[in-house]
Formats: sequence, structure tokens, C-alpha cells
Amino acid sequence: MKTLVKIAFKNLNRQKKRSFLLGGAIAFGIMVVTIINGFAGAFAKNIAGNMADLFAGHVFVEGVEKSAKGKPVEVIRDATVLNEALAASRVDSRLVQKRSAADATLVFEGKKANQSIWGADFANESYLKRRLVLKEGSYDDLLAPNSLVLSEKVARKLKAELGDKVLVQLKTVSGQNNVGEFTLRGITHDMGLFSNMLAYASRDDLNSLLALGPEEFQLYGIMLDDLSKAEPARDALVAALKARAQVFELSAAEVSPSGAAGMQSRYYKLNRLAKKESWEGAKYRVFTINDMISQVEELVKVLNSASLVILAVLFVIIMVGISNTFRMVMYERIREIGTMRALGMQRPSVKRLFLLEAGFLATGGTLAGLAAAGLVMLILSLFDFGTGTFFSLLMRNGHLTFAVGPVQAALNFVIVLALTLLAAYLPARKASRLEPAVALRSTK
Amino acid sequence: MKRITLFAAFVAALSLAPVFAAPDFEAMVRKVEAIQDFSGSDFSGVFTIVSEKPGQKQSLTQVRMFRRDSKEQFLMLIQRPEAQKGQGYLKDGDNVWFYDPTSRKFTHSSLKQNLNDSEAKNSDFSKKSILEDYFIEKTEESILGKIPVYVITLKAKTGESSYNRVKLFIHKDLALILREEEYGASGRLMRTTAFTKYSPVGNGKFFPSQMLIIDEINEGEKSQVTMTELSTERLPDKVFTKAYLEQVN
Repeated sequence: MKTLVKIAFKNLNRQKKRSFLLGGAIAFGIMVVTIINGFAGAFAKNIAGNMADLFAGHVFVEGVEKSAKGKPVEVIRDATVLNEALAASRVDSRLVQKRSAADATLVFEGKKANQSIWGADFANESYLKRRLVLKEGSYDDLLAPNSLVLSEKVARKLKAELGDKVLVQLKTVSGQNNVGEFTLRGITHDMGLFSNMLAYASRDDLNSLLALGPEEFQLYGIMLDDLSKAEPARDALVAALKARAQVFELSAAEVSPSGAAGMQSRYYKLNRLAKKESWEGAKYRVFTINDMISQVEELVKVLNSASLVILAVLFVIIMVGISNTFRMVMYERIREIGTMRALGMQRPSVKRLFLLEAGFLATGGTLAGLAAAGLVMLILSLFDFGTGTFFSLLMRNGHLTFAVGPVQAALNFVIVLALTLLAAYLPARKASRLEPAVALRSTK
Repeated sequence: MKRITLFAAFVAALSLAPVFAAPDFEAMVRKVEAIQDFSGSDFSGVFTIVSEKPGQKQSLTQVRMFRRDSKEQFLMLIQRPEAQKGQGYLKDGDNVWFYDPTSRKFTHSSLKQNLNDSEAKNSDFSKKSILEDYFIEKTEESILGKIPVYVITLKAKTGESSYNRVKLFIHKDLALILREEEYGASGRLMRTTAFTKYSPVGNGKFFPSQMLIIDEINEGEKSQVTMTELSTERLPDKVFTKAYLEQVN
């Protein structure tokens, strides 16, 4: 076997150009697929990470009450039970934020813009102070009453400048129409897709407009050390909260249903429960940032499946090339095969020699492909694409990131190896069946 | 002398009595409701809404409306613009559905929803039940143009009413609302409706046949509503069903 390995290496080395081209084709296929896998691997993590930063939490709790007319009202009147549950759950939280939120229409001098507004505690939210980079205005100015922070894109749409009074039209938590006047005191950099999702006002001011008390809020956000701890933290918090209050829970069938419902996020399903169920007092839903974007995971699955299809198509083309090359190699080495056979080499060994060459090509090509993919990914990750576009959602601080799982890489290698061996199998079998005398007589 | 003084005070009190005898405003609001309540019969009509928004062309919406107040039912069928033709709202008790003929689906809707991007809301055309949602907070007398009116300020009983406060300007003699102002919880005026014309529809009932609805937040946005073909003829029961909305398309 050792001799066969040596001969196989020597054969590959004899036709450097041909081996390089065949290995290069394999490497190219592996590189393309690895980059797609790498992008898909980081895609969900980047979206979740960006959203966790912007919404200041990995795990969230919302409280829901039923109004006299049976409509769900989203409000948390007292955080005591949540603080107790968090302590009892032993979740290692970095910080906890209490926010209110509204979907509003901003009106300024005849111009309108739809905008989600977060009611934050400007004076005490240190995390927001670090994250909120203002292009115009200063964070300290936001401590003045009725301050509003908008993104550059929305401010431009409204043609509003710092100091302008903007009307905020919204519905209170119970659905009543209301309107208030805010002063634009901060403009953030354009946040692309997030521009209409991220405006900030003081929680007290927004609460007053939402008909909430000063101590009331709507979202209890828990920031963890690491996004990967979100799901265990959620489960621990649910268990601790269940002992103290009513909690919305999905049945096993609702968690992983078949058909179209499978594409709905876990948060959407939890939200729907509030409309269907009846209860008295406050009931809580606990969810993670991943629960809000669980469709993204479906998208990642689609991307990975697509990359496998691309790999298969690429390798069917490469297989044709490999198969033709090995057929040619067989004719080129027909007298050599005859000599080896005459010297006592058995048929299976001839076949093995061809297959070993193909295997080495696949392995070398895969290694080169992975190295090339690593290099390309490194170069791509060095570019700063900025944070002002929709694509910033898919990146980390404006840089592309990639994450290739070892299982995915191993699977790609196995597929490539199997296809290459399959492509070389027929010429190998044909070579092994050559009669030594016939082969030696051959003048090809 | 003392007797004369007492007599004079008595006469003065009598003469002032009509001034101090405040009208029963609750009864007045109930009368306003009753004038537009068609519980004894059905009611139908065609509403034409012309909406104006700054920088945009006028838009026209035409809706055929059927009401059966005794069962708290109504059906509104959009006839114009062509793109929305066949869409409709069906109210049965507390439930309001919106029907879209393109998708052939019913979705839950609300009386608070604006009708086809106009300033008019579905609730503007349904039976008024003011005192169910509001209580009288303040009353005063005023003049609207040249017409003496009572101004009744109503405060929402719960947070679920469309507006926190409503001011009704009611004709002193006719018990008809001439103007309605709706305020948010912040105290800011959000919407004003001027009832410029009422049409009698028999049995002492009136219906506002012309309204001007002004969006006070978005300057320059207003809708002129005109009602025609008003009728209190009995309507078939099938009109107030989902099947009717589907069939009519």
C-alpha cells in the first residue's frame, strides 16, 4: 500500500499542470461553497447580535393584561416579580433595562414618517449612552423634557433640524388616539433598515403619551455576556417566573409545527396567545432576540441547502473533467500499466492506484479551497462597508464576518471525495481490467 | 320695609329662575343619539368622501352603507375607487370584519380605523352611543357662527374610547350636533368634524348629509363627506352576512 501511495503521488507530480488544474477546479468549488457556508453561519449570529445591541437585551419579558372589553394591553406595572424571578433563575445578567415603546407617526410641517420610538431612561441607561452615537446634538441635551432622538434618514425625510418641534401621533396602550410634541435634540447616523425602528425619547415622556404611569413600562430587557446563553437563560427565567406569576407558554406542537406555521417566529406565536387566551391580572411572555428573528434561521437553512446544491452542480461539471482526464491518463499509461501488471501487480492494486490519485486530488483540492476561502474571507472581512445601509444588519460593525462549522466543512469534503472517486472509478476499473500482454502491445 | 325687601328678592329669584335652571345635558345627548338611531327600522345610504392631502391629488371614495341599529349591525361596501371596489366592512355586535375580494379573506378590523385613507372613520357612520363611552365633564353656552349652541365636553370612561375628550357643539333648539372636536389625552385637538347639513329621514330622524372632517394634526388634510340616497326601507337579513359581501363581488 505504501508503494501505491508513493506511485500515486509520483504520478500526480509527473503531470503538474494537469494536477494543478484539476485540483484547482476542486479548490474553486470548495472555496465558493465554504464562503457561502461561512456567510450563512455568521448571518444569523450577526443579525441577532446587532439587534441585541440595539434593543439592549438578549432575553426580554413583556407583560400583558386584558382590558374590560377583553383586549390585550401591554404593560408591566411593577418589576418586583420580574426582579425576584431573575434573581431566582440565577441568570447571569450584565444589565437590565426597562423600556416602553410605541409605533408612532411623526409629523413636522406637513411631512410624515412612521417610526418606532423607545422610551428609555436617558439619565441611568449607561449602555445606551455608550451605544448611541449622535451625529448632531449631545447626550446631555437629551435629559431635557420631551427630547427626541431620530436617525439622520428620518430627520432628513421630515426636513427637521435640531430644536424643531415634532408632533408624535400614536395610540395609547389601550388604543386611544393621542398626540404629543417633542423637541428634536439628537440625530444619530443613518441606520439603514433600523432608521424607522430606532428613535428614542425619555421613558417618562413617552409613558405620559401612552397613558402609562411613570414607574410603568412595557419591555424588561436582560443583557447577557453572550448571545449563546440566551435560550438557557430564557428557560431558567420562565421556570422561575412560573412559580410567581402567569406565563405564556407554547405547546410542543406550536413550537415546531409543520407547514406555513413553521415559518412564523416564536415571538409571533407567543404574541398570538394573548389574543386567544383569557386570564385575569398580568401574564408574561418571555422570549429571546433569536425568538424574534427565528425566520432568519430558516433562511440560514435555505442558504446552506442552496450551497450544497451549488456544490453538487459544480462537482458534476468537475466530475466530467476528472472522468475524462483519468480516461486520458489511462490511455497515456497503458504500457506502464501493462508493465506493472507483468511484474505482478494485481488488478485491485491498479484500480486502487487510480482511486488514490483521485483521492489525493480531492484532498489537496479541498485543503487548497479551504485555504483560499479563508484568505478571501479574511480580505473581505477587512473592508469596512459602513453601518448606514440595509446590509449593515448582516455585518458586525460594518465588517463582513464568516463562521464555518467543522461539520459543514467535513460534509463538503466527504461530498467532494465521494464525487471525485466516483468520477475516477470507471477509468480505474477499465485500467485494472487491461490484460498485461495487450497493454504492452499497445502503441497508443 | 323688611317685607318689601323680601318680596323684591322673591320676585328677583323667580325672574332669574330660567337662567339658573340648567338644561338636562344628559337628556340632550340622549336626544342627539336618538335622532340618529334607526333601531325601529333599517337605514341605508351612499357616502361620497372627497379627501384632500397637501401635495396630493384629491381622492374620491364612495361607500354604500347598510345599517340595522336594533342588532348593532352594519355593512359598508366600497364602490369607488375602482382599485378598492368590492372591499367591505361588516359589523355584527362587537365584531368588525374587513373583506378583501382579491384575497377573498376576512380579517378583524375596528370601528376606529380610517376609511380608505380618508379622515373619516368607520365609527362616523355607525350608530352613536356617546354616553356608553363618555361622561359629561363640563357644559357651557356659546355661539357657533351666529347659532347659539351648548358646548358639552365629554370625558372618556375608559382608555378604550377613540379619544380622551370630545366637545360637542349642539344646536340649542334642534338637538343636532353642529360641530365635534376630538382631543387626545395630552389635551391637543386631533380632529374636528363640522356637520354642515342634516337631512330628515322620516319619523323625526335626521342624518348628517354633509360633513367636513379636518385632521388637526396633519395640516391641510381634510375630507368632505356627502350622503345621498338615504333610506329607512327594510333591508333583507342576508345583507348583514359575510356571504353577502362575498356574493356581491
